[in-house]
Amino acid sequence: MSFFGFGQSAEIDIILDGQDTRKVAEIKTEDGRKEKHFLYYDGESVVGKVNVTLKKPGTKLEHQGIKIEFIGQIELYYDRGNHHEFTSLVKELARPGELSQNTSYNFEFVQVEKPYESYTGTNVRLRYFLRVTIVKRISDAVKEKEIIVHTLSQYPDMNNSIKMEVGIEDCLHIEFEYNKSKYHLKDVIVGKIYFLLVRIKIKHMEIQIIKRETTGTGPNTFNENETIAKYEIMDGAPVRGESIPIRLFLSGYDLTPTMRDINKKFSVRYYLNLVLVDEEERRYFKQQEITVFRKAEKVRKPIQQAAYQGKHALKQFQSNSTQQQANSDEES
Amino acid sequence: MPNTAQLSPQEEQEKLLDEALQVVKAQSFQMKRCLDKGKLMDGLKHASNMLSELRTSMLSPKSYYELYMSITDELRHLEIYLVDEFQKGRKVADLYELVQYAGNIVPRLYLLITVGVVYIKANELSRKDILKDLVEMCRGVQHPLRGLFLRNYLLQCTKNVLPDAEEEVAASGDPESGTVKDSIDFIHLNFAEMNKLWVRMQHQGHTRDKDKREQERRELRILVGTNLVRLSQLECVDMEMYKRHILTGVLEQTVSCRDPIAQEYLMECIIQVFPDEFHLQTLTGFLKACADLHPDVNVKNIIIALIDRLAQFANKEEGVGIPQDIQLFDIFSQQISQVIQNRPDMPPEDIVSLQVALINLALKCYPDRVDYVDKVLETTEEIFNRLNLDHIENSSAVSKELMRLMKIPVDSYNNILTVLQLEHFGPLFEYFDFAAKKSMSSYIIVNALDNDIKIPSQEQVDAILNLVAPLVCDQEGQPQDDIDPEDFAEEQGLMGRLINLMQAEDADQQYLILNAARKHFGNGGNMRIKYTLPPLVFAAYKLAFKYKELEEEDDKWEKKCQKIFQFCHQTIGALIKAEMAEVPLRLFLQGGLAAGEIGFENHESVAYEFLSQAFSLYEDEISDSKAQLSAITLIIATFEKMKCFGEENHEPLRTQCALAASKLLKKPDQCRGVATCSHLFWSGKTRESEGEEVQDGKRVMECLKKSLRIANQCMDSSVQVQLFVEILNHYIYMYEKGNDQMTVQVLNQLIGKIREDLPNLESNEETEQINKHFQNTIEHLRLRQESPENDGPTYEGLIL
Repeated sequence: MSFFGFGQSAEIDIILDGQDTRKVAEIKTEDGRKEKHFLYYDGESVVGKVNVTLKKPGTKLEHQGIKIEFIGQIELYYDRGNHHEFTSLVKELARPGELSQNTSYNFEFVQVEKPYESYTGTNVRLRYFLRVTIVKRISDAVKEKEIIVHTLSQYPDMNNSIKMEVGIEDCLHIEFEYNKSKYHLKDVIVGKIYFLLVRIKIKHMEIQIIKRETTGTGPNTFNENETIAKYEIMDGAPVRGESIPIRLFLSGYDLTPTMRDINKKFSVRYYLNLVLVDEEERRYFKQQEITVFRKAEKVRKPIQQAAYQGKHALKQFQSNSTQQQANSDEES
Repeated sequence: MPNTAQLSPQEEQEKLLDEALQVVKAQSFQMKRCLDKGKLMDGLKHASNMLSELRTSMLSPKSYYELYMSITDELRHLEIYLVDEFQKGRKVADLYELVQYAGNIVPRLYLLITVGVVYIKANELSRKDILKDLVEMCRGVQHPLRGLFLRNYLLQCTKNVLPDAEEEVAASGDPESGTVKDSIDFIHLNFAEMNKLWVRMQHQGHTRDKDKREQERRELRILVGTNLVRLSQLECVDMEMYKRHILTGVLEQTVSCRDPIAQEYLMECIIQVFPDEFHLQTLTGFLKACADLHPDVNVKNIIIALIDRLAQFANKEEGVGIPQDIQLFDIFSQQISQVIQNRPDMPPEDIVSLQVALINLALKCYPDRVDYVDKVLETTEEIFNRLNLDHIENSSAVSKELMRLMKIPVDSYNNILTVLQLEHFGPLFEYFDFAAKKSMSSYIIVNALDNDIKIPSQEQVDAILNLVAPLVCDQEGQPQDDIDPEDFAEEQGLMGRLINLMQAEDADQQYLILNAARKHFGNGGNMRIKYTLPPLVFAAYKLAFKYKELEEEDDKWEKKCQKIFQFCHQTIGALIKAEMAEVPLRLFLQGGLAAGEIGFENHESVAYEFLSQAFSLYEDEISDSKAQLSAITLIIATFEKMKCFGEENHEPLRTQCALAASKLLKKPDQCRGVATCSHLFWSGKTRESEGEEVQDGKRVMECLKKSLRIANQCMDSSVQVQLFVEILNHYIYMYEKGNDQMTVQVLNQLIGKIREDLPNLESNEETEQINKHFQNTIEHLRLRQESPENDGPTYEGLIL
């Protein structure tokens, strides 16, 4: 970085160790694009080296020190100025002095705690990055590098099914059952709806996956609901005694693990919403929270990856057509 | 909207269907293009687009069917493509999961079925599991029409991939491929679900559309029935499996759905699709289920269909028939009565129809078991008794059915005697009203006549005549309306003919029969006895002749003959009391003739009595001159034939004849009578003449001359000439017989007289006839003159 055209400037590159073998993950940016970054897990060391390349060979670069930081921060979009750093580690790479040639510095953040998952939501972003700063008198030379963190969970010890009887007196009684309360990202929701009493003319029934992102606290709490999936599970009017199967594959949808009260700044929760629509377009629904977690992923075979993309294609199309079908959806 | 014009519902349907088909066409085109290029995902997307058309609620079942056919047709391309890919080894492992991301259930399930079947064909995953999964997942479509078609698609697609291996066989192979048991479960579940959907249609929509809805349901029934067809196509199913695993489930479902349309169709479907051998072994269960059907179900038709099938099966030539250990009749009999008991509202005609079916079964499968037929009749009687039915009105449905029931043994045995063995045949008669009883009676009698069944005992005669009592005599409560005389004559004619069938082997028995019949018919009243007593009298005469034949064996035969003639005398007397004359007269004459011929002890006085009775009838009762003439002619003729009389009896009778003849009112009648009488003096026979003709030529001539004299008195010249010609014939006869009183001269004289008068007659048809008669007579004489017979007289001197 050079002002006024004099003085030395340098290019900074952060090279992480094992880039050939390290997995890459995708994440949305704030403006909806997708970026790929290297993937790290909690407790993993972040190791690499910083290359400083001088732009004008032969000229010296004077500096007040070179440091590298590992930062995890939460950005609330309505509060741009304030970034909440929940992790910040610094390593000094060089004491103040002069650089007369291109130099490499190794760095190592050993077994770094990365308690949260990288996340980009509607109102909030949680990100991890490395930042190298060459402190100079006038302006520092800074280089940042994003990494992505996935938090892995063990398969939960307790994973009860969700079972409940709900209804409207003398009108509709149903019993529904989802096989678990905690699902991993590639899981399948299996369940059934059992009709105990039907006195309304039901037209169809669907399951929705609703993602609720909560930011802020107290009076400044913002809730953002997003319907991730709409999945018709029944067409037509059942009668008493019918049992309707549910099977919903999650891997095709854009889910994150459930996040509860992340650093007291935000939460992301998921709900299954069972919606019955009658012939007068009245909607009857029941929401149930489910926990979504990330399980250590097996390596996918290339052919499966193709299929995985296909899923997205089909789902995309379907959700479009669903939207056309259900324009008048007014849920309250 | 430019096109808002009111469309008729039909046009509307056509328009909607057309639009849908357009989409199908476009999307299927895109689908195939993508598949050709190997873009499976895009292909699936278009397939799903196409399938979304099946989500419509606007189409009638018929239009929906067309749409469905068109779409499933296109889906085959997808299936073929996928099977191809799999065969080439290009597997799409997650395809089964992949298609389940489709957000709408109808397209999703169609795709899932398509892919599932491809997996089965490619031996991916477990066939058993896939089938189970598919049939379970289809529960998601609860809309009757869409659900029925979806499940039909499932059934169509899996047609050739259902596991059909026996359990033991399957155990040695791949356990995942499943056994026939899995197929049965699969179809059962699908069937149950489809049936539920089908039944549910009945309860949707407005009551005013009920008829239309039922019509639509009937159009769709084949979809449900296909499940049963599929079950019947499983080759590994044996008797035991059918009984234990297939039928029970199907019946359970059928009974529990409590929907008349479904029950009626499904029960008939079961009968039609499964083999007879199976039905035979499961009758009880099936029929028990029949008893539990909805009251609106026409159980009758179902049971009848089954019976008809089994009866046919029993009579199949190459078949093995009904196995010995199956008491087909008993089972049906029991179960039918159960069905009837369960349905107090069943119309009586339907009950009888069931009995008709049962009786047919008994006759077809057990032709020798008269007791089975009787059992049916007994049951029917009990039912009628219980229902308190009586005097069932003719031409009512019950009456018709009952008549059908009762005609079956009649037609089947073609033997009235066998029918008589049915103890409960007669009692059932009592439930008919008079008209029906009568018509049924006639039917039985006609059958006996057609088959010429001899009735050999008095008891049987009694039984038959009691049975057909409405034809024999007046009945209590008989309607008093006028009877068509022709019908009446025909009906009573039958009874007359029936008497001819009453023939015992043994003469004494025959006598008893006649007596019994006499008693019955004697009560028939004046109208009837006219038809029934004469044949009886004839039968009695016949019997007398039979005794005559038996004279060597039966030493009492003469006494018996006397009794017979007494019987006849008295019977004829009954006819006279009924103010008949001509028939009794003839019967007397016939009796006289018979008595004379049989020649038993005392026969002469019997014959005399009979003839004198005939005379007194003639004198007292016959007044019409024509009748008189024909009666006296008959008397004379009869008398002429008889040779049993001694002179002391012959003389008064003969004189009486001549007297009666000359006392006839009209001259031509007198003339003819007297001329006829002349023969008595020629060919009459007496005991004294020992059966030879008396040949009293002189008396003959007296008669003929008298006759000619009377003819001369006739005013009508045409009649006169006619009489002359007739007398001429008598002359010629006598001449040829050798009466020496008759001469050529006399002939010439009469011929001359005729020749003289004949041309004076007015020429008309009558004259023509007289002329012809005369010419023929002359021609005869000419022939005789030219070539006289050896022993005949000569016609020398005859002027022609």
